[in-house]
Amino acid sequence: MSIVLKLENLTKAYGGKPVLTHCSFSFDKKGIYVLRGSNGAGKSTLLRICALLEMPDKGKISFYSANDRLARNIDLQRQISLVLPKVGVFNRSVAANVAYPLKIRHIAQREVSRRVEQILELVGLSHKKNQQALTLSSGETQRMGMARALVIEPEILFLDEPTASIDDENTLIIENLLKTLKQNGRATIIMTTHDPGQANRVGDYLLWLKNGQLMTDFRKCEEVNMYG
Amino acid sequence: MKRVYSFGSIVCLLILLLSGNAFADSILCASTTSTENSGLFGHILPIFEKDTGIEVKLVARGTGAALEMGRRGDADVVFVHAKEQELEAVADGFFVDRHDVMYNDFVIIGSPDDPASIKGLTSAVDAFKKIADYQTVFVSRGDQSGTHTKELAIWKRTAIDPAGQKWYLEVGQGMEKTQRIGNEKRAYVLTDRGTWLATKDQLEMEILMEGDPVLFNQYGIMAVNPEKHSHVKYEQAMTFIKWMISDTGQTAIDGFRDKLGNSLFIPNAK
Amino acid sequence: MAFILESFHSALILIVRLDAELLNIMLLSLKVSGSALISATIVGLPMAALLALTSMPLKGFFLNLMNTCMGLPPVVVGLFIYLMLSRSGPLGFMGLLYTSTAMITAQFVLALPIIVALCHSAIVSVDPVIRQAALTLGATRSQASLTVIAEARYGIISAIIAGFGRLMAEVGAILIVGGNIAGYTRVMTTTIALEADKGNFELALALGIILLGMALLINSLLLIFQRRAIVRK
Ligand SMILES: Nc1ncnc2c1ncn2[C@@H]1O[C@H](COP(=O)(O)OP(=O)(O)OP(=O)(O)O)[C@@H](O)[C@H]1O
Ligand SMILES: [Mg+2]
Repeated sequence: MSIVLKLENLTKAYGGKPVLTHCSFSFDKKGIYVLRGSNGAGKSTLLRICALLEMPDKGKISFYSANDRLARNIDLQRQISLVLPKVGVFNRSVAANVAYPLKIRHIAQREVSRRVEQILELVGLSHKKNQQALTLSSGETQRMGMARALVIEPEILFLDEPTASIDDENTLIIENLLKTLKQNGRATIIMTTHDPGQANRVGDYLLWLKNGQLMTDFRKCEEVNMYG
Repeated sequence: MKRVYSFGSIVCLLILLLSGNAFADSILCASTTSTENSGLFGHILPIFEKDTGIEVKLVARGTGAALEMGRRGDADVVFVHAKEQELEAVADGFFVDRHDVMYNDFVIIGSPDDPASIKGLTSAVDAFKKIADYQTVFVSRGDQSGTHTKELAIWKRTAIDPAGQKWYLEVGQGMEKTQRIGNEKRAYVLTDRGTWLATKDQLEMEILMEGDPVLFNQYGIMAVNPEKHSHVKYEQAMTFIKWMISDTGQTAIDGFRDKLGNSLFIPNAK
Repeated sequence: MAFILESFHSALILIVRLDAELLNIMLLSLKVSGSALISATIVGLPMAALLALTSMPLKGFFLNLMNTCMGLPPVVVGLFIYLMLSRSGPLGFMGLLYTSTAMITAQFVLALPIIVALCHSAIVSVDPVIRQAALTLGATRSQASLTVIAEARYGIISAIIAGFGRLMAEVGAILIVGGNIAGYTRVMTTTIALEADKGNFELALALGIILLGMALLINSLLLIFQRRAIVRK
């Protein structure tokens, strides 16, 4: 069952300084939305609000499943995932980090092991399974962060600058991973990046955040709906 | 997290296993450090326990604290050596059935060169007067113990108030520590003979004055008044008191020797 | 300095002989300080977590109080507990004075501020991204809090070690509320104080060495536990 995320008139200000003003948008397609904008434009803020980590000052965020509006509770929260630019690494093994989202969902141990193996394989960290997560390189850390978010097979996945501080090789690994996910066609992915090349390589739909406003870039994605 | 819990429960279990000291028929006796430190109680209590099956738990404090424990109802029986205070507390209704049990005596010790020349005096009051005259250092327990009480009584008779004098040190510690401080300061100290006999080998001091009846140190035993504190084990306390003043108890006290073989306490129950 | 060697020698002899009395005293020390420490942790850790992870009124005052109480003189605590538990005190009816329960209570009061203050600082020093990460991965608020606490485990074990050190070395409070009754409330430190009082310095020092050995052993166990809990970069 696919989930649609709808933003209506989102407004957010920090200390009187507006960051988002009347943002409206509907993420109703499977695939990858790439959100761009200058530093401080409010991209991370928007993702945090969409991922239900923060409340907007005004406006509404709603999630729909086949036109039914979903109640905003932990079950909904558990179908979405956000990877922050700074991966919060738990001081445990790589496998334990990746197993975490499954453990808090009280999934049986055998299933946990199976899915952890599978997802580590996907991000290419199988051989680092038992390594302490804090000792990973930043590229590996980023991949582990992805694996940890993907292991629950989220309906909506937010990625905030997933390749910000890593080398070309790891960037390539992550981009290929994104392409694989897209081919599987399961999730809606909304990511930010400062790399125009990356946006073109992986993105299906391009969005800009400027002066607190969210707008589509029609050069790339004609099908995107615009509200307001 | 699970591992933390199991660790915790193992520890708890261990603690439960360790805590198996069931309380048999027992009474709590508040006494002075001298009776415990000399080893007297270690000698007589097992005999009493075997005779009667009553266990005596001993808390050793200064006389002041021991009497206070009794007044507050925190002990069943009190065994101290400050007869005047004891009689006063009995008169005030805190204690009943007080009996003399035994005595030892106090001596004045000091460095062998005896700066105040008290050697040869027969009166403790005169000795104290001389110490005050020469302003030689005198170390006092200063802890409301029986020894301290005795010392203050002697000062009272000299009509000298030593408090606050710069040669008069109130240390607020037990007998052994007071002696050791006196040793370091080459000072005079009033001590009970028992403690002195036990510690003299470690001190460069000697007895400079003894034998004055004023220095007589009477130990007495009394029960906490059950009318004041209904929870006290009066019956068992009385068993203990009666045993202490009986021939068996008195013989046991007489037979006690410290680790150097000295006889410290002379039984004198009537 | 010969006396130190002598004391080590006597300590060794005591350990080799390990008579029932000494063993009882050692076990009672462990029992009293261990129970106090565990109960202080059971009470103090959630308190520290509440202080660190929630906003509550008087939080600053409470933390300041805990930090100040870390330096409470044990005799003062002992005296206070004594007056509470004394037959003439408000809790006298429980008849707890001069029992190991009284000693555990006093040591609990001594350990609690240490556990609360040190665990609090361990928990607040966990990087805030940990909590964020937990929430983004679908943790409920309480699951996220537990994750933060788990990340603070290194500091929490350090707090427990600090508390244990203070308790094992403590004599002022347990002497007053326990009474140093042979076979009942006599523990290592009160035995040491008693022997020192009697002038048996060598024996006292030997017992001190044994106490130190016990503390070393326990701390090593805790440190092994701690080492498994952390990762070195
Ligand atoms: N918690 C906060 N308190 C105060 N101001 C904040 C807070 N979070 C964000 N801001 C401000 O909001 C604005 C938008 O920040 P945000 O992190 O969303 O930008 P961004 O588009 O992600 O930038 P970048 O590309 O540099 O990551 C910035 O001016 C920032 O200083
Ligand atoms: Mg950002």
